[in-house]
Amino acid sequence: MNKLFRSLLNPEHGAPAEPPKVSRRGFLIGAAAGGFTMAFFRPGLSFAQPEDAVENQTFEPTIWYHIHPDGRIVVNIAEAEMGQHVGTALARIVADELEADWSMVELHHVDSDPKWGLMVTGGSWSVWQNFDPLSRAGAAGRMALIEEGAKLMGVKASQCRARNSQVTAGNRSISYAEIVQRGKLSRTFTEEQLKEMPIKPPSERRLIGKETQALDIPAKTTGASQYGLDASVENMVYARPLIPPTRLGSSINRIDDSEAKTVDGYLKTIKLDDPSGTVPGWAVVVATSFHAANKAAQKVKVDWNPGKTANVSERDVLDHGRELIESSDKGALVVNDDGVDDAFSSADTTLEHDYITHSVLHFQLEPVNALAFEKDGQWEVHTGNQWQSLILPVLSTALDVPEKNIVMRTYMLGGGFGRRLNGDYAVPAALAAKALGRPVKLVFTREDDCRFDSIRSPAYQRVRMAFDAEGNPTGMEHHATAGWPTQVMVPSFMPEASNGVKFDPFAIQGAAHWYSVGAHRLRAISNDLANETFRPGWLRSVGSGWVNWALESFMDEAAHKVGKDPIEFRLALLKAEGKNAGSAPNSVGGASRQANVLRRVRELSNWQQSLPADTALGVATSYGQERNMPTWTACVAQVHVSRETGKVTLQKLTIVTDAGTIVHPDGARAQVEGAALWGASMALHEGTMLENGQVKDRNLNGYTPMRMRDVPAMEIEFVDSTETSVGLGEPATTVVGPAIGNAIFAAVGIRMRDIPIRSEEVLKALKA
Amino acid sequence: MSTTFTLNGQPVTLEVADDTPLLWSLRDDANLTGTKFGCGIGMCGACTVLINGRATRSCITPTKQVDGTAVTTIEGLDPEGEHPLQQAWVKTQTPQCGYCQSGQIMQAAAMLKDFPDPTDEQINQVMSGNLCRCMAYVRIREAIKLAAADMRGAGQGNEPNDGTDTTEGAAS
Amino acid sequence: MIKRITAILVGLGILLLAVFLVYAWEASIPEQDPPSPGNFSQAMLEQGEALAGIGNCQSCHTVDPEQPLAGGRAFPTEFGTLYSTNITPDTATGIGTWSREAFHRAMREGISRNGAHLFPAFPYTHYTKVSDEDLDALYAYLMTREPVNAEPPGNDLRFPFNIRLLQAGWKLLFFEEGRYQPEDSRSELWNRGAYLAEGLGHCSACHTPRNDFGAEQTDLAYEGAVINNWYAPALNTSSLAPVAWTEASLYDYLRSGGSTYHGVAVGSMADVVHRGLGRAQDRDIRALASYFSAMAEPGSEEQAAQTATATIQAAQQRSAETLGYGEKVFTYACASCHYNDPENPSTLRPDLSLNTALRADNPMNLIRVTLEGVDNEEGLPGVVMPGFAELSNADISALLHFLRATHTDRPAWNNLEDEIERQRQEVATQTESAQ
Ligand code: FES
Ligand code: FES
Repeated sequence: MNKLFRSLLNPEHGAPAEPPKVSRRGFLIGAAAGGFTMAFFRPGLSFAQPEDAVENQTFEPTIWYHIHPDGRIVVNIAEAEMGQHVGTALARIVADELEADWSMVELHHVDSDPKWGLMVTGGSWSVWQNFDPLSRAGAAGRMALIEEGAKLMGVKASQCRARNSQVTAGNRSISYAEIVQRGKLSRTFTEEQLKEMPIKPPSERRLIGKETQALDIPAKTTGASQYGLDASVENMVYARPLIPPTRLGSSINRIDDSEAKTVDGYLKTIKLDDPSGTVPGWAVVVATSFHAANKAAQKVKVDWNPGKTANVSERDVLDHGRELIESSDKGALVVNDDGVDDAFSSADTTLEHDYITHSVLHFQLEPVNALAFEKDGQWEVHTGNQWQSLILPVLSTALDVPEKNIVMRTYMLGGGFGRRLNGDYAVPAALAAKALGRPVKLVFTREDDCRFDSIRSPAYQRVRMAFDAEGNPTGMEHHATAGWPTQVMVPSFMPEASNGVKFDPFAIQGAAHWYSVGAHRLRAISNDLANETFRPGWLRSVGSGWVNWALESFMDEAAHKVGKDPIEFRLALLKAEGKNAGSAPNSVGGASRQANVLRRVRELSNWQQSLPADTALGVATSYGQERNMPTWTACVAQVHVSRETGKVTLQKLTIVTDAGTIVHPDGARAQVEGAALWGASMALHEGTMLENGQVKDRNLNGYTPMRMRDVPAMEIEFVDSTETSVGLGEPATTVVGPAIGNAIFAAVGIRMRDIPIRSEEVLKALKA
Repeated sequence: MSTTFTLNGQPVTLEVADDTPLLWSLRDDANLTGTKFGCGIGMCGACTVLINGRATRSCITPTKQVDGTAVTTIEGLDPEGEHPLQQAWVKTQTPQCGYCQSGQIMQAAAMLKDFPDPTDEQINQVMSGNLCRCMAYVRIREAIKLAAADMRGAGQGNEPNDGTDTTEGAAS
Repeated sequence: MIKRITAILVGLGILLLAVFLVYAWEASIPEQDPPSPGNFSQAMLEQGEALAGIGNCQSCHTVDPEQPLAGGRAFPTEFGTLYSTNITPDTATGIGTWSREAFHRAMREGISRNGAHLFPAFPYTHYTKVSDEDLDALYAYLMTREPVNAEPPGNDLRFPFNIRLLQAGWKLLFFEEGRYQPEDSRSELWNRGAYLAEGLGHCSACHTPRNDFGAEQTDLAYEGAVINNWYAPALNTSSLAPVAWTEASLYDYLRSGGSTYHGVAVGSMADVVHRGLGRAQDRDIRALASYFSAMAEPGSEEQAAQTATATIQAAQQRSAETLGYGEKVFTYACASCHYNDPENPSTLRPDLSLNTALRADNPMNLIRVTLEGVDNEEGLPGVVMPGFAELSNADISALLHFLRATHTDRPAWNNLEDEIERQRQEVATQTESAQ
């Protein structure tokens, strides 16, 4: 994920984009529960008494581990888990340096506690950010165990080595379990000592990079994992929200709950008064069971005064986007090479097309929910959430209590995909609990969840290219407009473009491509009508999801225009020269590595094969989202198009990824599988429309994500590399859509420029 | 207001409104939260449980309707959580967020009774009612086939604990 | 002249009326103390119980399962609402004071003990066929039930239908008294089936359309009819079942509530099978199967299997070529249960291509089952189908249109969405009144 995103996720707003200084905090080992706990110090606290720190658990909560007398090593993780198996990755790093026997390692997702203070969890950044400090924490543990083991065996520490939870000297050895039972491990490491901790060279790694099973998985097959929806406390009541007709600007005139009173268990309907402005015009229906709340909610009549976007449609937002693109003074010039206008005015020929992507719902399988209550002046919010520090200040305003008096407890997430970066759903729960003076568990039905989603904005884009007489590109323009998540959620994080306009980097990422096409202009424009109508959200791969649809569809159109094979055309432009040469450490090789995955996918997919009628291959490629942390990805899709029905059948996906060093091969494959199918789902199965200011589809009877039967054959390959490891969860999402669109063109000669691609539209185009 | 049935092998009586969806009775009254809520309209499968051994969407099944039946949830599929399906799910590292997986496993358990050696087409038909939003489909399919092979190999020994299947005799 | 003719006509009218009154008047049969249970042999009681099951008495005469046979169930008709009577041996509100003779007369002539004519909602038109011995057994059974003191609500009929005496006229037109006469050309089993079906079983009471006076149209016997907001399908050669009924499949259906090649018993038929026929002996179920299998187009077991396979295959083929929204609803909401290997369909995964309800001209059964589901006590015991009332009318309409188009060769239904809405309201009133 983008570096700026990482900084967005940082608890200290506005901090530079770099890992927190965990290593400055020193490390401690103290006795507890018959074993030893090893943890980072909390800054500012005394180093003198590790036992006390362990006793009172006044240490850094991100991760700590405990070695039991029976040798079990329990790694405690206070991070949200949403399918990325983050705990396993973090534990692997510790265990590798600790020289632990992996079969003795267990994972414990701890419940947070007020004494942990603020917590924050990211997805893809966790490993990257924690790699170094966790390695040192493991090494510190190993060193302490070796020293103590040596003492117990009566040998010198320098004669010992640790392996597989054993300390060995010559032919003598002692297990970690025995050391814990007999030894006195309590001690501390200062920041300096920790920094000098010897870290193993990669060749010595025994766990990192090797196949393993994720530790969070068994509990996910038995129903034992606890998700936000599973939270409960004494004396809790249930609530369902009544969501107003517009996301912003609605107010309640009158509530009539007379009919709801016939429902057994109905308590009351609370009109929410929200100083934070997160949920204007909301009410919640409270009852002693969710069933009663739900039933009563259907009987409560609310007379709303809707906000001004009550009539906005998808078409309005897209038309507005097109108008914005057509006013040349709008937006941020993210890339603005010299000579773009000259290239076009002196071009032999030019090509210009517009592309559309429609609204997309997160539709994470667990609808959002939150349990909130106050106890002795301390507020607790129990919910699955990725970014507590974004919502805590909002909760503080809403409840009118200082941030330090609010704690968010972490649960497994029934899917995130970016929805739970925005914790807005916690606000109405907290307000209801405050109004009622009793714990309230607010459960959104699926319909509520969809109406309240931070959707992926519809996007309107225009791409142009200038060619010389030989058909070589000499200049390119890409204009993209959509609702901007960062602008509405955390405007202070928007960087400034060359023309002084601030922009949302996530809404344009992926468009600053590595093709050498002459002078390049890239303009990002915020669609203000979108921003007013809904809360644009970060959704898996964010802007690349729409940007790459336009870019890679257009590259295909350009290739066909100049009569070149789509892969050859692209390869000729991936020259790795000038600004596309790449630089150490993250983008070593530059465009040549993109060319490499493209060549490899050509081979693997048997690009030149002849296929049955109306069946063809299409290609698309991407560097991921960020130029200085690229994940080189190429995809070939094989589709069949039915001329009778317009149905597009995705038969096969071939994907080659160069993500540098692959830390957890099976996990990496799972990420690419999921991401690729997400891309296919958004291209062929999903997508909704705004209608009267809200999304039209609110449940699975209308919103139709990909199902088992739609899954194509998949061939996934990773480039064998020792380069810096980069993120994997998203790039495949962005290449599949355009590869499908390009394959449709190759199969039946029609060009689809809107996603989702609906069979009706295909049929229409076929008949045209 | 009261419904009596067998839940994971134990007799229970729940005092809930008759029209309370079984899903919420199980989660909030019987405290078995392994069964999940995804859509509430019978189209995602996250809430799938076995009623007399047959996969049923609990979100649209009124609690009263299971009076006198045997209900099995993910918690009761196997006392140790080591049903061949659960083992296959771990072996193939299928779950991502995991939220859909209770329902997937319960649906698969019922399917393997009807189709002990399922073809891809059978898996497509029976399992397409279970949405996996993380799109772990490739592995779900793989895991089903693995478990099926395992159960066929093991013979009768691995019958899921789904209560007496009172319906088998009816198919004569 | 005209005056004279008028006078003659009026005179004739009065005369006719007088004759009619003499004809219509029935004597009251004196009350008597309930017979002591010792009067009846165990065998008699058992036989009576089985017969009560075949007649399915408790279904119409029970509202509260805790008070079986105490009457009070409402029967909305075009003429107003009728309420069933208390047939427990309670002396004040039931039939405790009825003699054997009074009971026989009621069953065979539709006349209450006190001489009042009974409305033909009580199917004496069928019971008249029942033998003395069987009526005695039934009497014995009813008189040994737990007496329940419960007065059912009075009938609520519009004028002139509330004049009981008019029932005598109705009988004149539509009722023929007399015992069942065996057909010698038929087997003994068939004759037994016919006796049960036409007599106590009163099967045609539901499966035959009625005329404007509420009488069964004998020329349309078993052509299928709507009753109590369910459609009782045709059982004769007009049957729309894609796979012909055989004796074996009818036996399965009547015994267990479901047949692999046809579907399951829901609504009132679930009551008939599980509450009523459940008490009947196997032999009698076979007899009914014999009678009805002969009534419809006869088919062989082998043919049935082949037709079923071909029908399922055709449906799967057509479905695969369909893209619409209804197909999605089916795949996401229904197919996980309603999907079969064409070669080997399972009763427990009812295949909709074989389902009669989907082929009927009237979609009401299918709509109701879709909305309400099938509970533990209906269909095949233990198989619960949830109701899909959470889906919108448009969703269900798309689904049913898809099924009709791909799983049958029948013409599309009209006004499905309206019909779904109508049934939704029905269901809502039903549940409201049940609470
Ligand atoms: S929650 Fe029951 S099917 Fe979705
Ligand atoms: S694993 Fe997340 S929904 Fe299936």
